[in-house]
Amino acid sequence: MTGVVTFHVPENKLAKLIKTPGGKPVVEAVADAQQGLMGLQDDCLADLGQMLVEAEGAAARAGAAFDAELVEQLYGRVSAAIGVPTACGMEPVDTALISLSDLLDNLQERSVWDPEPVAVHLRAIRLMLNVEAARQGAGAQGLLDGLRQVSQRFAANDAQAD
Amino acid sequence: MGINPESRARFNLQRASILILDQNPMGMSILVQILTGFGAKTIHRCETVAEAEATVQKNEIDLMVVDSLGPGGAGYKFVHWLRRSKIQPNCFAPVLIIAGHTPQRAVAMARDCGAHFILAKPLTPIAVLERVLWISKEGRRFVECSTYVGPDRRFKNEGVPAGMEGRRRDDLPAEVGEATMPNMEQDVIDSMLKTRKVQL
Repeated sequence: MTGVVTFHVPENKLAKLIKTPGGKPVVEAVADAQQGLMGLQDDCLADLGQMLVEAEGAAARAGAAFDAELVEQLYGRVSAAIGVPTACGMEPVDTALISLSDLLDNLQERSVWDPEPVAVHLRAIRLMLNVEAARQGAGAQGLLDGLRQVSQRFAANDAQAD
Repeated sequence: MGINPESRARFNLQRASILILDQNPMGMSILVQILTGFGAKTIHRCETVAEAEATVQKNEIDLMVVDSLGPGGAGYKFVHWLRRSKIQPNCFAPVLIIAGHTPQRAVAMARDCGAHFILAKPLTPIAVLERVLWISKEGRRFVECSTYVGPDRRFKNEGVPAGMEGRRRDDLPAEVGEATMPNMEQDVIDSMLKTRKVQL
């Protein structure tokens, strides 16, 4: 930091409001929030299905060469969906979306395109969305470990290049 | 920081005015459901930075939950603008940033924008509640200088990083030097600890 530095302690109005009488116990608030999220389940599934169709379409349009605009579009769409699966009880799908986002980010950083790992991720996400067994237990863990390895291979290559 | 999800401790968000900035309709719905579940009644939903700026200018906000808004980090830029806007008291309002994916290049933007805390998605109700309650309790001081405006980022105060000299006047050296004053007498120490009546 350079130049003049000033410090100020602002009024903490949120703290006062939170302490006012009334409100809810933590246990009730968390349960109500969870119940509200469950009400979004159909919308979440529809949103994820739409995201997958768009992502598959974008991946199919990609040629052999790196297309910065297309990869950015794909990254934007996939990363925006992170958080939606967990809201409808599909945590493993979120892990797969994060892995795919890491992969697309690494491809963007290196300005390279490799359709195979992207296709592997999209196929795995479709499988997990459609088959309950694929997002539970050891099956899901094996699938996610595999995706993480694929995604990390590009990160590792990046580190070696540095 | 953990809160027991089974806790019967009460908190009240009914009178808090909350702004949510999220361009993704599903992301917005998830946040609204979580905050409504917590008892919030006044929620300003903004899908664009322009809407959020207009809302901040017209309403007093007690808490802002701001999405990073994609690879460009428009959400971080909004917080950066807010802190320098001089719109009181909103420019000091607690801001919780949420981010779906935080690549390395976005980390510095997130750190420097002036938010109170950054929470990575996927969100769970208990994680959001923990952060909101933590932000409300800590009452961090604000720092204003040419390169940063926002809550003090050195809230952990774990000392100056190893091998570096502190830049602040009150930074203590890593090595404890020789005593510069004589030790206190035991009587003096005892008198400091002695219980006394308080005169009101």
